[in-house]
Amino acid sequence: MSVTINTIINGKAVSASADASTSLLEFIRDTLEMKGSKLCCNTGECGACTVIYNGKPINTCVTMAADANGAEIITIEGLADGDKLHPVQQAFVDTGAVQCGYCTPGFIMSVKALLDRTKKPTAEDIEEAVSGNICRCTGYNKIVDAIHLAADRIAGRA
Amino acid sequence: MEYFEPKTVGDALSLLAKHGAEAKVIAGGTDVMVDIKFKEEPGSLVNIKKIPGLTGIKDNGASLRIGALTTIRELETSALLRDKLPVLWESAHQFASLQVRNTATIGGNICRASPSGETLTPLLVLDAKAILAFSDGERSEPFSTFFQGPGKSAAGAKGLLTEIEVPIPPAGSKGVYLKHAVRGAMDIAMVGVAVMLTPDAGKNTIQDVRIGLGAVAPTPLRAPKTEALLRGKSLTAALVKEAGLLAASEASPISDQRSSAENRRWIVEALTRRGLEQTWKAATGKEVA
Amino acid sequence: MAKAELKIIGSSPARMGGIDRVVGKGVYGIDLMLKDQLHGAILRSQYAHAKIVSIDTSEAKKIPGVHAVVTADDAPNVRYGRSYIDRHILARGKVRFMGDPVAAVAADTPAIAKQALKKIKVVYEPLPVAIDPEEATKPDAPTLHDDMPLPKTIPADGKLKNICGHAVVHVGDADKAMAEADLVVDEVYETKMIHPQYLEPRIAAAQMEPNGRLTVWANAQAPFPVRQETAKMLGLPLNNVRVISAGLGGGFGGKGSGITSGGAVEPICGLLAIKAKRPVMIVLDKAEETISTTIRAGARMYIKTGVKKDGTIVARTGKVFYDAGGYSGFGVQAGGRCTNMLGGWYLIPNCHIEGYTVYTNKQVCGPVRGPGGPQAAFAVESHMDSIAAKLGMDPTEFRLKNTPKAGDKIVGVAKLRDVSLGETIRIAKENIGWGKAKLEKNQGIGIATGSWIESAGPGGGAIVKVNEDGSVTVHIGKIDMGTIPGFGIPMIVAEELGIPVSDVTVLNVDTDASPWDAGTVGSRGILVSGGASRLAAIDARNQLFKMAAGKLEASPDDLEIIDKQIRVKGTPAKSVPLATVATDAHNVIGEVIGRGYCDNLQLVAEEKAHGSSQPFTTHACIVEVDTMTGNVKILKYVAVHDIGQPIHRAAAEGQIEGAAAMSIGQALCEQVVFDKDGRTMNPSFVDYLMPTINMMPRIETTLVEGYPGAGPYGAKGAGEIACVPPMACIANAIFNATGVRIKTLPLSPENVLRALKEAGKA
Repeated sequence: MSVTINTIINGKAVSASADASTSLLEFIRDTLEMKGSKLCCNTGECGACTVIYNGKPINTCVTMAADANGAEIITIEGLADGDKLHPVQQAFVDTGAVQCGYCTPGFIMSVKALLDRTKKPTAEDIEEAVSGNICRCTGYNKIVDAIHLAADRIAGRA
Repeated sequence: MEYFEPKTVGDALSLLAKHGAEAKVIAGGTDVMVDIKFKEEPGSLVNIKKIPGLTGIKDNGASLRIGALTTIRELETSALLRDKLPVLWESAHQFASLQVRNTATIGGNICRASPSGETLTPLLVLDAKAILAFSDGERSEPFSTFFQGPGKSAAGAKGLLTEIEVPIPPAGSKGVYLKHAVRGAMDIAMVGVAVMLTPDAGKNTIQDVRIGLGAVAPTPLRAPKTEALLRGKSLTAALVKEAGLLAASEASPISDQRSSAENRRWIVEALTRRGLEQTWKAATGKEVA
Repeated sequence: MAKAELKIIGSSPARMGGIDRVVGKGVYGIDLMLKDQLHGAILRSQYAHAKIVSIDTSEAKKIPGVHAVVTADDAPNVRYGRSYIDRHILARGKVRFMGDPVAAVAADTPAIAKQALKKIKVVYEPLPVAIDPEEATKPDAPTLHDDMPLPKTIPADGKLKNICGHAVVHVGDADKAMAEADLVVDEVYETKMIHPQYLEPRIAAAQMEPNGRLTVWANAQAPFPVRQETAKMLGLPLNNVRVISAGLGGGFGGKGSGITSGGAVEPICGLLAIKAKRPVMIVLDKAEETISTTIRAGARMYIKTGVKKDGTIVARTGKVFYDAGGYSGFGVQAGGRCTNMLGGWYLIPNCHIEGYTVYTNKQVCGPVRGPGGPQAAFAVESHMDSIAAKLGMDPTEFRLKNTPKAGDKIVGVAKLRDVSLGETIRIAKENIGWGKAKLEKNQGIGIATGSWIESAGPGGGAIVKVNEDGSVTVHIGKIDMGTIPGFGIPMIVAEELGIPVSDVTVLNVDTDASPWDAGTVGSRGILVSGGASRLAAIDARNQLFKMAAGKLEASPDDLEIIDKQIRVKGTPAKSVPLATVATDAHNVIGEVIGRGYCDNLQLVAEEKAHGSSQPFTTHACIVEVDTMTGNVKILKYVAVHDIGQPIHRAAAEGQIEGAAAMSIGQALCEQVVFDKDGRTMNPSFVDYLMPTINMMPRIETTLVEGYPGAGPYGAKGAGEIACVPPMACIANAIFNATGVRIKTLPLSPENVLRALKEAGKA
């Protein structure tokens, strides 16, 4: 059964139809052909599909597309301001936190949501924010560096 | 697959009555979406998130009433919940990942009726009740009888959980929820133990104790023999040890890809001991003798 | 080029393609969308070992929206394999593990494809299942491959079976020396199957072009071997098969070496595209990957060492049972490496080790990050620690006593040119606080060393084209994984051509245009493509100098390139823009194209003449054990590595941190779990547990310099070696904390708790 989904993605109103069983990840990647949010485990166990949904980071693979009616969604494609990277994006580049880059969009969305919540994240805050994001390449060290660097830059401490 | 977004509890119940076993209720979706993608699409999917009035935490004085559609994150960020029901708050805090907590609901966790469900043993030791709506009216079911088997609950195929009612524990009570897992994040509990301990007025003996065990039986369950062993006594190292062993014997765990049954019993013993020591210290200020 | 003169090498410029990846524009195979594409799906065996009695695809073919259904009969009867050519594109006659592909469909939508798979009727005759590699060698074990002969070195007397690889290490007289030892320690260690679990699922996409060529997109590590094998399996000439690298999100060897290890997704996709006469794309599911694609094999290693009272090693014997899986895959090579490394990288004058790579009814062994090494190191480094304890000797002193020096021979290496092992041990001791750190109850400190040989193999080429504006395009055959196309190559080319790193573009691999290469495997990226690119850049530079010399009235030897100007050394005023000379080339030589090749034979000859300067490492850690639950927490972790001259410092650290994390995962939480029928019980991420950020300590990395390797500027490979020590490092720390040595991985809470209880410590 088909449903129509009216939602706001990266500030733009979007209207499209999809089967009711469609996940929000499938809607974003396949219906809207926005490939920045990644498909990995498809079970809510890795965070690669994370977007910011009404201000909160969620796993789109286990969310119904139909629920996005009326929601405001920010995906990785919506963070940069033209050519100017968002501080979280810039920090990931600068600390070498990007190896294969597949986990990167999910991490960046989780981190952006974290830094929207707090300007000076503690180690516990960071663990809470991204322990639902798996990285297989970096061992997380440079990702932690990027989070601190982004926080410092956003707060004007660096 | 047919799809419905009922706007009232009554409409939802009519749909469930009509479509019976073919229908599946979806709330947050973190469990049901995985079923849809990896098992079978149900004949009908009933999305209950549009029904108003099913979220939020209300302070009734002697109890808190929590709407079934309250997200785990809403529980985690509720100062009221953390203050009044810290053992339930703790289970919300250890639940899956932040992303999952932002959409998963307490009602979904309850109705999934998985033996390892994070919030379930705290609800057992808090003597909480499920408020269920059926076509023929509403009733409440204590969680001690709500869980009937893996995936089976008193809600059945046609009932809807609308709210839970959680009595505030007696003054001076202290509770912990201890989860055994490998990573400390995202994991499903291999064993979960909730302990709620109420000291007597003089803080010398255990006036009441409730022990909930998760992931070690077809349902989450209490450990009544262990509770009986402890009531009225002062906590000593020997008693803690005995209680741990007895609690382990009250569990009936299976061996699966996560753990052997033997290891689950060891962990029940360990976490029961730890839970008793921690709640005793918190409630009485004393170390175990 | 003297080290002092290097301007770019050793620094950390931004990753090429980094910005694309942070804005969601990084293109991975899974993001491809071919016009009019169909969705492919694979039907896999439901038994770990069975005869295929019949396959009936007629019902599946009738479903509307299904465009092709294929079985082995739809392809040429040709087999593939790396050492043993033992596997068909789709199972023929028999299935040998659950996950063995049996049939495939192409349909309009993934849902229809799924439906079609359900309608394919396969009749199996189940056979007994062989799960344990040692048991599988015994005469009464089920036979997996009736027509594969035993290795020639194994007597065909019926005592051993199911063996596809046999490696022997023999030095001196181990039995005699062992009998004369003061102390003999005899142990057995075991590691379990791990899946590399790259986050991006494996894909393949294929379409027949109007001119009869087959184009394949693969997120594989080795496009040329993919081309080779796809052409072979489909009976096509190589000039009619084109493989385009689709960009990958992690590989770790699991997407390596073409299809010999990967389960033939590319040829199956090609077959579907040919039959359906439409483009087809297959996207594997992560749970499907765990049960069907290549893995890091488990191994059982018997290891026995004789020592003198003063700690000098006099003899080692051992036996390895290396678990190849249902087909040989990369098992023979990996098992051989494990056998070699069981001899360790210490001075061992007498040694006899035999290793068997064994067929079992499980997933197939692939070249997963340091194949054979982490397994051997778990045994060797735990065993070394165990011997030290029995001798009453400090574990680091025991290792240093047996550490080789320049000129020494060790197992598997003819001669060592220089040896950084001792220095890595000393620095690791310093950094972890060995003998100084204050340890609380149930805390322990452990150390483990390691080595890795960049795998021998063919070389590879590079082409450097200088464009009219002085910018440069580089063609290599290695794909963007690890440190090379994104980091190392632009830096090397920029260094040699005196241009900014940002002026260098490394192109995506396309077998129609790129130079042949074995693929991004074996820590050979910097050695092969780095070396080749450097030579190609120098070749291009020489061409530019030759043309500029006339203009500048100087000898080509007197020229240099600084800031995009070709100028006479010492006379900066005499200069001409690089762009001008590059453009002038149109009238002289056509264009400036530099070619370089990493000559592997030359590398081998040099190593033979001067000795090998292989990378060494020492890791050390402090752990805390919860003796009531078995949980292990790593409190501090240091990794000391000799990787020669680091090309891109941050990228090299990233490889070390990432590889260490992978083996920390193998140590603490990862394994593929089987039931007795060979069914994988934990295929999805719910129960296949990889380290999350809260579990991971900061990996404090130190790079030791001064031991140049065979790569450009003295670089050594960095991608795999950090996988080697962590498991033993953690096990040794647990021993130090609790007195209990755990010899079977993983060091999961249950296994630790059981070991503690058995020792009466919990």
